[in-house]
Amino acid sequence: MSEWEPKIVAFLCNWCSYGAADLAGVGRMLYPSNIRVIRIPCTGRMSPKFFLAALRQGADGVWVSG
Amino acid sequence: MIDYTQKIREIAARLLKEGTVDMVIGFRKGTVPMMNEPCFIRKPEEADRLVWDSHCGINLANYLYDRKEKIGVVAKGCDSRNIVTHIVENKIKREQVHVIGVPCTGMADKRRIGALSEKDGEIREVSEKEGRITVKGDSFTKTFEKKEVLQDNCTTCLHRNPVIHDEMIAEPVEEQTGIDPFEDVKRIEALSPEEKRAYFQGLVADCIRCYACRNACPLCYCPTCFVDESRPQWVGKSIDPTDTMTFHFLRAYHCAGRCTDCGACERACPVGIRVRQFTKKLNKDCVELFDWEAGLTLDERPPLDTYRPQDPNDFIK
Amino acid sequence: MTHIGIEPGRLQFSWISSAEATKFVDVVKDVTDAIRALGPNTHFVKTLPKVA
Repeated sequence: MSEWEPKIVAFLCNWCSYGAADLAGVGRMLYPSNIRVIRIPCTGRMSPKFFLAALRQGADGVWVSG
Repeated sequence: MIDYTQKIREIAARLLKEGTVDMVIGFRKGTVPMMNEPCFIRKPEEADRLVWDSHCGINLANYLYDRKEKIGVVAKGCDSRNIVTHIVENKIKREQVHVIGVPCTGMADKRRIGALSEKDGEIREVSEKEGRITVKGDSFTKTFEKKEVLQDNCTTCLHRNPVIHDEMIAEPVEEQTGIDPFEDVKRIEALSPEEKRAYFQGLVADCIRCYACRNACPLCYCPTCFVDESRPQWVGKSIDPTDTMTFHFLRAYHCAGRCTDCGACERACPVGIRVRQFTKKLNKDCVELFDWEAGLTLDERPPLDTYRPQDPNDFIK
Repeated sequence: MTHIGIEPGRLQFSWISSAEATKFVDVVKDVTDAIRALGPNTHFVKTLPKVA
């Protein structure tokens, strides 16, 4: 890999941002492909454990969206 | 202090005789000086095992929950706040505890005393009188002002008197004023990310992952702690710096808005890590963001348990 | 989080309604740019011991 690309783990709420991501896909919108989406049932499911687990396993950033 | 002991014994014997409680939890002399142990008493005639002095730093709220019987408990300011937290979190019913309130003037730090008399040899005996603590070894006697050998958290304690009690053993003591409990946190906040990381890495470098801090903490009552979970494994078992940091960090997060800064974690640490540095930052945030100190009232829900429209949300885009 | 020395910005939060696909795209760009600017994460990464 010639140029470094950030790896971002995205924790998306099933009902909000995951829906938005779905809609963006259906609408064929373009967005950076650095994010790896993890669907969570609700942003309330988010825990600091997840964030740390992501970083520990080599993510460059974590994005939580509700 | 002697009369405190006398008073606690009288009350414990009375409560057990009258049948108000089935058990009294207090302190008894430990087998090693300056290490008093928790003591569970079920018969009035056992009450004279109870003692009270400046080495009762263990948080007795840790022994209250998941019990059926009615319990009388000897509680300092911080213990009483942890009892409130237990009641708010439904770990015990208010009617189930009979709080014997002890106004506290701070607990002595055995590490500090130990360090001050390290050269002289092992301490065999300890006694105290009028705010002075005297230690005796094989060939030495030393006296310290209690004020100078207090536990770190006691020097910045703002709630020395129990916040709830069914009876008090003495008149409330004067609360400390004019101290800033978060002075050290502010110092760390001023550092750069690099320096902060170095500071905390250095802090936990000695950690042997014995989890004594977790076990001593009255807040840590999860049936399965995250460190013991293996599917998925959130924290590695090794003493890899990342794992150690993850443990301390998550432990602190679990105590957010609940920690009463009783110092049990720090007292329990066998290698003397100042683990309160983690929880204190979150305590400070709770004070600043939600105007909240844990365990002061039975009538209010903790901030992380409620939503208020005015909750700060600047960090969200 | 930042208190123990993880750079501020490694962790991002946002609110997006399920109807806001455009906002989603914008925020993805923002987040990616912000983290690209921070560079690779080198701290808090657990390097597993190499097993022969």
